[in-house]
Amino acid sequence: MGAKQPIKIENLSVSYGNQKVLKSINLEIPEKGITVILGPSGCGKSTLLKCFNRIIELEENVEVEGKLFVDGEDVLHPKTDLIVLRKKMGLLLQKPQVLPMSIYDNVAFGAKIHKNMKKKEADELVEKELRKVNLWDEVKERLKSPADKLSIGQQQRLCLARGLAVEPEIILGDEPTSALDPLSAEVIEKQFLNLKENYTIILVTHMLRQAKRLADFVAFIYLGELVEFNSAAEFFSNPKDERTKRYLSGLIAG
Amino acid sequence: MISAKKIEEKIFKILMYISFSLLSIALVSIIAVVFVKGLGALSFKMLFSVPQGGYYLGGEGGILNAILGSIAIGSIATLLSFLYAFCIVFYINVYRFSKSQFSRSVRFFLDILWGIPSIVYGAFGFGIMLIFKIPASLLAGALTLSFVILPIMARTMDETLRMIPFEMKQAAYSLGATRFEISYKVIIKQAFPGLLTAILLAFGRGIGDAASILMTASYTDSLPTSLLRPVATLPLCVFFQLSTPFKEVQERGYAAAFVLTILMLLVSLLARLSFKSFSKYVVK
Ligand SMILES: Nc1ncnc2c1ncn2[C@@H]1O[C@H](COP(=O)(O)OP(=O)(O)O)[C@@H](O)[C@H]1O
Ligand SMILES: [Mg+2]
Repeated sequence: MGAKQPIKIENLSVSYGNQKVLKSINLEIPEKGITVILGPSGCGKSTLLKCFNRIIELEENVEVEGKLFVDGEDVLHPKTDLIVLRKKMGLLLQKPQVLPMSIYDNVAFGAKIHKNMKKKEADELVEKELRKVNLWDEVKERLKSPADKLSIGQQQRLCLARGLAVEPEIILGDEPTSALDPLSAEVIEKQFLNLKENYTIILVTHMLRQAKRLADFVAFIYLGELVEFNSAAEFFSNPKDERTKRYLSGLIAG
Repeated sequence: MISAKKIEEKIFKILMYISFSLLSIALVSIIAVVFVKGLGALSFKMLFSVPQGGYYLGGEGGILNAILGSIAIGSIATLLSFLYAFCIVFYINVYRFSKSQFSRSVRFFLDILWGIPSIVYGAFGFGIMLIFKIPASLLAGALTLSFVILPIMARTMDETLRMIPFEMKQAAYSLGATRFEISYKVIIKQAFPGLLTAILLAFGRGIGDAASILMTASYTDSLPTSLLRPVATLPLCVFFQLSTPFKEVQERGYAAAFVLTILMLLVSLLARLSFKSFSKYVVK
């Protein structure tokens, strides 16, 4: 599992109206491990992440230029089948957003869209994915109750299970722990470390310490530009760019 | 010593109580007046029979024709209006950006339509019927009425759809759902209580309207059995009876008004009761 080859970004620029928020990004994300997109708030991290599965198009007045290759195909090409593309990626948002249905239906929602499933098959899938995110034991007695009743931390794990149920290759996380209490955040971080064997994980964060805990690779973005990309070890111990050094030493707020 | 803040708070509290009392008094007194004035004419017979000969001069009979007529025309108009409103509202919120120029224009037009008095809709409908030589009927009345209530229905639904968190749509799209799947598997579920409110508001407005159906649906003493025949309605039933010079018949007018009011109350009550079960899965 995981992406079959590195994800290549070529000259990617994004503007909202006439405000250019990403400026000609070039980046190659390895198909294995966790790649952290790091940078202060407002630098364009979420914008970049939303390009991967093209939900950036839900924003108004947005213009995306450049190329973004996933499994060798340019997903920004107008002919790209968005359904196939989005099935390849699970997205975790900052604030866990459950769907207006039961816990069970939340997990099965995406999977049922892509495949006709018998009840038994769906039951098995739901259990499997909920176990992956350590939620099964907490909810197995109340699968039919509204997902909205869960705690925020549980909701985020449910969202992860929901994403995993469509059998993606890539997991996208947009500061997925920042709305959570420390304990739930830790649980989610652990899941990411477990999942990285089988999935390509791209994680946006503005928390330096989280990046240090999780990253195998780091892409540092500042004011819409890709400043530096390197393996985590190299990035933290031996930063090349002046801006990276200042960010790492806490001189850039964020 | 009492601080300025406390006084301010007191004043607002008092204002709140006053406005709440006014509201309650208005509701209770409307019901009380029609009830007291119509009490003498209220009977089972009135509810379950149709006008006999000379009813409007004080003869035997009841207003079942108008009760069933109102329910029929109100339901058909609400159904028709729901069909257009549903398409419009999902189009401007799901298939177009909700804040786009196009969507904003649609809202603007609906707001204008909302402000047009229903007699104008009636005149318009009647004009068209004259051109095509369509006689006054349940169908013609329901069609006209459906346009009267369209803005209420559509704008209320629209507000509900606009309240749906953007992240919810993002989440659903990222799972690979199409706009259609998102509409019927996610948005309808999340918006259900709001959609229901819109339908009931529109029905309430429709069942109480007299001006738009006066010329288009006409009136009859028989029960509504055909879409192509005239139909009796409660507002007109009230109007005709109150405008006679006979005390007795006027009393029946008030009784009909009471029935109309109770019908509306029942509808809202039912809505409130069913709300809870429909909003079980709504994400707050
Ligand atoms: N839908 C939008 N319309 C206009 N500007 C936006 C929109 N989304 C984000 N922006 C702007 O683009 C910049 C980058 O935003 P974002 O990608 O969310 O940054 P980050 O996730 O790094 O905090 C910010 O200046 C933000 O205000
Ligand atoms: Mg962000």
